[in-house]
Amino acid sequence: MKILVALKRVADPDNANKVKIPASGEKIDTTGLEWKPNPFDEYALEAALRLTENGTQPKVRAGEVVVVTFGPKETETTLRAALATGADRAIRVDASDDKLDGDLVARALKALVEKEKPDVVLMGKQAVDGDSNQVGQILAELLDWPMATFAATIREEAGALLVGREVDGGVSTLRVKLPAVVTVDLRIVAPTSVYSTKTPSTHKYNDGVRFAALPAIMAAKKKPLVEVKLADLAPDQALKVSYHGFAAPPARKAGIKVKDVSELVSKLKNEAKVL
Amino acid sequence: MSDVVFDLENPTEDHRMLRQMVRNFVRDVVEPQAEEHDRTGTLNVPLLKQAGELGLLGLTVPEKDGGAGMDAVSAVIVHHELSKSDPGFCLAYLAHAMLFVNNFYYASNEAQRERWLSKVISGEWIGAMGMTEPSSGTDVLGMRTVARREGEGFVLKGHKALITNAVDADVFIVYAKVDGDVTTFVVERSAPGFSVGKKTEKMGMRASTLSEFMLDDVFVPAENVLGTVGGGVRNMMRNLEIERLTLAAMSLGIADRCLDIMVRYAAERTSFGKSIAEHGQIQRYIGESFAKTEAARALVYSVARDVGPAKRNRIGTDAAKLFAAPVGKEVADNAMQVLGGWGYCSEYKVERFLRDAKLLEIGGGTLESHQKNLTKELLRKVKQD
Repeated sequence: MKILVALKRVADPDNANKVKIPASGEKIDTTGLEWKPNPFDEYALEAALRLTENGTQPKVRAGEVVVVTFGPKETETTLRAALATGADRAIRVDASDDKLDGDLVARALKALVEKEKPDVVLMGKQAVDGDSNQVGQILAELLDWPMATFAATIREEAGALLVGREVDGGVSTLRVKLPAVVTVDLRIVAPTSVYSTKTPSTHKYNDGVRFAALPAIMAAKKKPLVEVKLADLAPDQALKVSYHGFAAPPARKAGIKVKDVSELVSKLKNEAKVL
Repeated sequence: MSDVVFDLENPTEDHRMLRQMVRNFVRDVVEPQAEEHDRTGTLNVPLLKQAGELGLLGLTVPEKDGGAGMDAVSAVIVHHELSKSDPGFCLAYLAHAMLFVNNFYYASNEAQRERWLSKVISGEWIGAMGMTEPSSGTDVLGMRTVARREGEGFVLKGHKALITNAVDADVFIVYAKVDGDVTTFVVERSAPGFSVGKKTEKMGMRASTLSEFMLDDVFVPAENVLGTVGGGVRNMMRNLEIERLTLAAMSLGIADRCLDIMVRYAAERTSFGKSIAEHGQIQRYIGESFAKTEAARALVYSVARDVGPAKRNRIGTDAAKLFAAPVGKEVADNAMQVLGGWGYCSEYKVERFLRDAKLLEIGGGTLESHQKNLTKELLRKVKQD
């Protein structure tokens, strides 16, 4: 099986307070931010690795995992880390972060998919910076491929994937014929979430994503990483999303103390207007 | 000016990726288990084996022999990051990966590597190193353990003490004198006449174990001699450099973590109607802790660039440990003072770091031994001029 995994780097969510917005409000100032792979995309990579191996022999890849990201040269760090974790090769689509939106990324991915011809495109259900939750869905529509979003479990079958999605009140199971687009949720990295046809059903993975072992980190330097121009994939680079301004959320106001229940009820009714 | 910023802690992309890998390992796996092993005074053996799966146990062994082929800066990175969460476990890692594996590799021949190397790089076997004796520590050449020639080998007799990992180790590097000259031997735990004592209880570094071992006429074949007969001091001195350097990196890790804890606490805690960070006394703890930690970082990482199997840097490594060890202890103590009563309680972790930090002023060379070595080296340079 050949899997294309789309990875995005995001500003480290643990340091979200470092995000600054200049007084003009025209953009987000990204200087000094630390970058990390979008956690949901890391889970997608882990799922891709599980789907292309026998879980009892994770060093042998049965199939191919190709990772792709969009961004400037520095984003190759994200790709190298993915190669060290187990991906076979990487593609960087050269682009400037502020000249992308979900629609353009999906259109470029479509062109890449037509070239690479993967059996599955995997990605996180959303990126934790913009939380747009669009690319997977738009891509499936453009390709006219079956789609399963928010996957919590994936089981490989002959020519298809059986995808479990956690929905309100239970689990919805979809059988998607290949080729397909699947976006993953966080439980996809639980010990029994993903099984290829080669992995025995008794096998349990470690919880979470795998660590890149040192020899793999060294070997990653020799794995192919190519740069592709965005214009070659998407000649029309017009954006559908335009930003009119940025503002920090208003600071929280201090609370007040009330004398008794009746004052509380009165304030909830007349001031907060929630009753 | 170029846009490329010189990164002292990560001189190359390999170093940066190594650090990121160790950080992930520490965050997800090491940190959650640290407190329990400190409390029970036990080595987490599966965790050491997991470090083996990640390739960390053969860190400084060349790739052609199954290691990661990394340098002293990399060794500093691993010890620095591990010690931000669990200095006790890091000490056990150091005893295995530096005192045994690194020491063994650079003194061994092909046949010896064939026999032991893959076992200790994978973590299948745990290693330890026996230099110190009950009555000789800093005065290492005063050791009394002897090896007398007999048949195709040597018979070892003696007593080693304060040996990290001895409780759990399968294989030991043992220093003993042959006709008065220090020689390095590999001794397996199963050797007849070899016995390990009870666990030695201690103040800190409790996630690593300490014990003594006795050599009661242990026969060791000649092929277990590392390097040459009488060449033990050379092995010992070469390995002491990376040992001191990585111990200094551990103090830096402790200082970084304790500084982080004290600053976060000071940002939240109020007293006398204002943030404690507005009190000059607290500012002194924070400001001085930061400045000293940064100085230790600069020294440790710059010395690390000059340490390797083919380079000698005794003066640098002595200076790094002499400076960094008290910084680790002082910053941990400052953190406890900033946290007050809460700092003395286990929940905020600084009491554990303070107990751990003290060892680094003693183990792998006391502060006094570094002072002695540095003076000796500096005087020698003057006399050479």
